[in-house]
Amino acid sequence: MPDLVPHSAPPAQADLAALAAAFGERLHSAGVPVTPERASRFAEAVLLASPRTIPEAYWLGRVTLLTGHFQIPVYDRVFDEHFRGYVDLVEQTGPAAPSPASPLSAGERAPRETHAPTQGASHSPITSATPGLDARGDGEAEEMSVLAAASTSERLAGRDFSECSPEELALLRRLVEQLPLVPPQRRGRRLRRHARGDRLDVRATLRTAYRTGGDPVRRSLRRHAERPRRVVLIADVSGSMEPYARVYLHLMRGAVRALGSEAFVFATRLTRLTRQLATGGPDYAYARVADATPDWAGGTRIGTALTRFLDEHGRRGLARGAIVVVVSDGWEIGDPHEVGEAMRRLGRLAHHIIWVNPRSAAAEFQPLAGGMAAALPHVDTFLSGHSVRALEDLLAAIREAGERRRV
Amino acid sequence: MHGDALAGVVPDVASLARSLEDSGYLADPGLATALFCAVRLPQPVLLEGEAGVGKTQAAKALAAALDTPLIRLQCFEGIDAAEALYEWNYARQLLGIRLAEARGEGLEESSLFSRDYLVERPLLQAVEHPGPRPAVLLIDEVDRADEEFEAFLFELLAEASVTIPEIGTLHARHAPIVILTSNRTRDLHDALKRRCLYHWIDYPSLEHATAIVRMRVPEAGDRLVSQIAAAVSRLRTIDVQKPPGIAEAIDWVHAAVLLGVHELDAEAVQRTLGSVLKYREDHDVAVEAGLAWVSGA
Repeated sequence: MPDLVPHSAPPAQADLAALAAAFGERLHSAGVPVTPERASRFAEAVLLASPRTIPEAYWLGRVTLLTGHFQIPVYDRVFDEHFRGYVDLVEQTGPAAPSPASPLSAGERAPRETHAPTQGASHSPITSATPGLDARGDGEAEEMSVLAAASTSERLAGRDFSECSPEELALLRRLVEQLPLVPPQRRGRRLRRHARGDRLDVRATLRTAYRTGGDPVRRSLRRHAERPRRVVLIADVSGSMEPYARVYLHLMRGAVRALGSEAFVFATRLTRLTRQLATGGPDYAYARVADATPDWAGGTRIGTALTRFLDEHGRRGLARGAIVVVVSDGWEIGDPHEVGEAMRRLGRLAHHIIWVNPRSAAAEFQPLAGGMAAALPHVDTFLSGHSVRALEDLLAAIREAGERRRV
Repeated sequence: MHGDALAGVVPDVASLARSLEDSGYLADPGLATALFCAVRLPQPVLLEGEAGVGKTQAAKALAAALDTPLIRLQCFEGIDAAEALYEWNYARQLLGIRLAEARGEGLEESSLFSRDYLVERPLLQAVEHPGPRPAVLLIDEVDRADEEFEAFLFELLAEASVTIPEIGTLHARHAPIVILTSNRTRDLHDALKRRCLYHWIDYPSLEHATAIVRMRVPEAGDRLVSQIAAAVSRLRTIDVQKPPGIAEAIDWVHAAVLLGVHELDAEAVQRTLGSVLKYREDHDVAVEAGLAWVSGA
């Protein structure tokens, strides 16, 4: 941790540096991770630019302390709280002692400043998420019951999720987590050496030519390497999908971690869960998901959610060339026409669209739900995915979709 | 440290903003602060924002303001070290071997891997820049490159050096001023963000946009410029796929001037809309909203 207050600095500047440290700490506890490195960068910038007005200080902090666009609202709020009531810094840069209008700065600042480095390094906002929002059993206990009921899992594999008791759903979590996730492939742009490549690897050929006196005797070939194709999972977590939502959350967590997929859920609004699911143990991940999705088990606005997905993520490149899996029963409270329009746009961006409707397993199923009927013409593969066996079909479909040429 | 060498040229934020303006770029206080920190701290800066808000232009203007070359690396999917850092000139190496043979001279392997046979790509060029002031290195649309590529940048960003196994580590005499831009098609790696300052460029306010367009297209009439600036901000409020940025506003004014339009009305919008909206669906949306409304008439 570099010293935030240079000893040689004149008093007015030292005061600014202390102010910077205190502000960094406050921002950190508001949820924007401020590393000691960034805090010292901010202090350095303040000393360098010696801001004279509040807006100048605002920009110096915003440029040096943040790492992303999404942090700006929090920054604005904290900055406003922290600097409201301070006199303009113009008065502090003068030769006089700290102006009487800022009595806070001397007394209250000192103890805070000593806390700043240690606290800044130790706590991160992520660990503040607490488990226990959902009533799933403990990991070990679960394992015991799985061992005791080896035949149960066999039976459960074919069972519709909506017919399972909460205990059985907890068991299913294990089964779902064990499903093999194989990344779908696409042709990459990079060339890799390959014994049966379709073009000459000039570099390797010449390198081996050094050994034979400059004559290229052995020919090396290369061809386009296979790259994993992106998979985007969008799941409906509205009331009508409740029995399935949790199981699909397990699948999403597996896909995010193993395939680097993107995960979204929606009921009345769209929420991106990739970050929440990517790190930490399952309980922490699901607690963060619960925090992030206030509309869990709410009504369904498929069209709005898909349009939002396209506008904010898909069009930027997330859906481009990707395999998009939509899990929903197609019950739409909005305008089904909007669903059709969004699916048409999605169809032009995505490589392959898989729609999973757990309700379609029923013998009497007909795609009558307004949203479903509107979406179907744009769907490449339609699956039920209502049981663990059916999930295996879904994973196979994802794998195959990668290889298939777009139709 | 080049920070001291530049202290004379860029003493504070306001003077940087002024010299940017002299080179034809109106920077708002936020962007000027970001560039000031990039130059003086010195620290790479990551500029994000919607397409067409002037991210690339900012780097160009900074280079012009500091009177130093701009070295640009356009990222794309599959870009690798050979295209970004350096590459050995194989053909020339082979020729060198042949020549040495023909002359009957012996050839050391080390002489084959000397600077003569090295092809410098942008990152190496920036490190090797002889001065007197550091070059501005623009790493454009870094989000288009593969994630693995970001790792190539770390050494350059943190140490201002490049390592070539056969030659060794080359340290920059004048560490380049690095500007990265991203359109946010994907999240950049935290390790990359950690090494950079960050600035989000928003769409400019109406008056700021008017001032920028007036500066970039001096031949256009004041009335036309303010009408078009207002029309562009109006287009941004309706549901278009690609909301027009400042670049589109400038294109639009250029198109209007070329066609001899002095006053924006529904008919003029009809003729020139193609220079600002680039999707057929967006045209439909604009027509639906009413071309007269767009023109402000």
